[in-house]
Amino acid sequence: MKVFLDYCMWFFGGIILFYMLFVIVSYCTMFVIAMLVMRKRYKLDPSEYDDAHIDAFYSKPVSLLVPAYNEEIGVVDTVYSLLNLRYPQTEIIIINDGSTDSTLQTVIEHFRMKPVDKIVRTNIPTKQVKQIYESEIYKNCILVDKENGGKADALNVGINVSQYPYFCSIDGDSILDEKSLLRVMKPIILSDGEVIAAGGNIRIANGAKMHLGSVTETHLPNNSLVIMQIIEYSRAFLMGRIALSKFNLVLIISGAFSVFSKEWAVEAGGYSTNIIGEDMELVVNIHRLVRKKKEKKRIEFVPDPVCWTEAPQTLGVLRNQRRRWHQGLFESLWKHKTMTLNPKYGLIGFLSLPYFWLVECLGPIVELGGYIYIVVAFFLGKIYYEVAIMLLLLFVIYGVIFSIASILFEAWILNTYPRKRDLLRMILLAFTEIFWYRPLTLFWRCEGMIRFVLRRSDWGNMKRVGIAEKEKSV
Amino acid sequence: MIKLSLSFLLTVIVVLLVVLFIFTIYLLFQRQREIRFAEMRDTFLQNYSQHWYNYLINDEIFSIVLVPRQRAQVAAVEIIFSSYLKNIMNDKVEHKIKEFSNLYLKQFYEKDLASKRWSIRMNALYRIADLQIEDLLDTCQQFEKTKISEEEYFQLLKIYSLFQPELFIGKIKESSVHYSESEYRRLFVLLEDDVFIRLFEDFDSWTKNIQFAVIDTAAVKRNMQYIDKLKQLLIHEIPEINIRALKGLYEIGVIDEIDPYVPFVTSDMWEVRLMVAKIFKHVPLNYTYAYLEQLLQDENWWVRSQAAKTIAENKEGIAKLQQFMESSNDQYAIEMAQETVVRKQGNK
Repeated sequence: MKVFLDYCMWFFGGIILFYMLFVIVSYCTMFVIAMLVMRKRYKLDPSEYDDAHIDAFYSKPVSLLVPAYNEEIGVVDTVYSLLNLRYPQTEIIIINDGSTDSTLQTVIEHFRMKPVDKIVRTNIPTKQVKQIYESEIYKNCILVDKENGGKADALNVGINVSQYPYFCSIDGDSILDEKSLLRVMKPIILSDGEVIAAGGNIRIANGAKMHLGSVTETHLPNNSLVIMQIIEYSRAFLMGRIALSKFNLVLIISGAFSVFSKEWAVEAGGYSTNIIGEDMELVVNIHRLVRKKKEKKRIEFVPDPVCWTEAPQTLGVLRNQRRRWHQGLFESLWKHKTMTLNPKYGLIGFLSLPYFWLVECLGPIVELGGYIYIVVAFFLGKIYYEVAIMLLLLFVIYGVIFSIASILFEAWILNTYPRKRDLLRMILLAFTEIFWYRPLTLFWRCEGMIRFVLRRSDWGNMKRVGIAEKEKSV
Repeated sequence: MIKLSLSFLLTVIVVLLVVLFIFTIYLLFQRQREIRFAEMRDTFLQNYSQHWYNYLINDEIFSIVLVPRQRAQVAAVEIIFSSYLKNIMNDKVEHKIKEFSNLYLKQFYEKDLASKRWSIRMNALYRIADLQIEDLLDTCQQFEKTKISEEEYFQLLKIYSLFQPELFIGKIKESSVHYSESEYRRLFVLLEDDVFIRLFEDFDSWTKNIQFAVIDTAAVKRNMQYIDKLKQLLIHEIPEINIRALKGLYEIGVIDEIDPYVPFVTSDMWEVRLMVAKIFKHVPLNYTYAYLEQLLQDENWWVRSQAAKTIAENKEGIAKLQQFMESSNDQYAIEMAQETVVRKQGNK
């Protein structure tokens, strides 16, 4: 028995160590690429581009889709933030996905919506549209009331109703910076349509001060759970998205804020309704289509346009969110498993998908295994101490060092939280990550995998307090 | 291969932590400097905004106190100039800003052009164009000979288009760098009409993006002299150029004859038919109704929709559509006509 146990401990210890080293090297590489990309832009005046492209002559019209299911608290602010956008030609389409709260009534009353007769082209089959409304105050603002069919179905209705060649999906409780759309459209405009989809940077709005749909001041919130998520977002942004985007390897652009060419999205079948991670699914389907049609098209992540979103403030809500995200990721990867290591899909098949499988998807199992290993080694005696301590040190590099590096780099380039005290608080909290936040999220992500195996799903709305609500409490 | 040992890992962590610690100190120091810079800039803005207003708008005598001595003050002057240039269309103000920039800001941007940092050089090129610092044209030409990025070259083209259009046309001809349509539009829109019209002369020699940008810019300039040029392009062999020319003519909005457009009603491309349906908005309905009725029954949804909208725009349009709904057998066309009528009546 002891021999077997020894064998197991050395075997698993070796695998986990090797895996951790692999992940650390991958992240280091992506971090260096991101640094080089962002460093070039350091101190560049972005207003020059913004001012030059504010004219419709240089840009392309965009339909803004806001799917809303029980978003009575946040939807009005989201629409205000869209009305505040500095962009020459947009239409706002709010899609009420059969909400059971007063979302529909709130929007109708707030924006004085009146019913209109409108023939909708069914580019993508969807659930029944009950009624279309148009705002009497804002002529470019439309409300679509439809039967409940999930977020993907709501977005598909939005695509059908939209009249412009590009659409931008925005979550019903997200706030866009006034220049965000202008900037996320930049690669699309400058590439003459070679870029067919682009996603912006998502930031956490908890703690920010808001006025009529605009973020006016950013402060670090007091809630440690939210701060950890801020750190996590900034790490994901630096150690993933920027580097992957440079080589056209992006598989996820957040559904909270992304722009797509309508033509390509429709041809790719729109958002899939039978899958949780509909945003990733659409991106992968578009990649597939691009390869099939052998066209030179790109999907990009753009670092500076910012979309503010509300982060979960309690463990329960965060748990739901994380296991849902992971379930969606696993589901998409599983659905497209034939693309992995398939030469037909080039670097997407050989680099991007294996990266997502190994690091993003299966990572939590190995990492959680690492934590369990450390605990078991502690009980089994000193011969395993060395491997356990080594693992712990790798966790320190992975969890603490990378987090601090991301915080500092983000502060240097983007300076989201200008107060010194905020910066130091984030650094101090990053030291604690491996002891509580990381194991918790790993556990929830593993739960997501189990849910995938058991095929469980829901709409995935989190309980919100509303970004503007927090303004009052600051 | 490096042997993975505890001491090695510990050393790596300690080294990384020290590096991060130093970076934190640097960052805090840098932030302090930025705060000081912002304070100095804001103080200058506070103290001299009124002086600038008096000088630029009230024609008061120029005072030497307005001349910036350091970077923070230059940043303040940039803010002031930018706000005047964006918000006030006044030749006298523009001239004063140009004169001042050529005299007192030139040396700052000249120095910036020599910077190792790409972003600083780019910012300098932006300012040279915005503030029209013509005195730096030679410096820019020297700068072009160094190893520069495509973005920098684009800014140089913009500068040439402002200060030396001849040089600009030459550079565009010989350039091996290709830009997007939107970028070419940004360059062409700044050209004077006599220079811009020359782009039509060599139309077929340009790359596709330049051709498209020329057509689109002609449309936005809304100058009558471009109508004939665009009409000539209607018989161009490339369909995309026909569509763009139609779009340009629609945007200019002056249609003096319908004969050149009639053949497009039966075009194989729906985009062309759509554009004709749009163009007919600028022609009295009694000349175009027969063609619009044909387009209302088109196989393409967008064409049908546009034809219905164009008819409805006319004061007799609603009656014509109602008449059509009664007599037609085409269900799709009837639905489209019906929706347009309902919407139009709803808006009233």
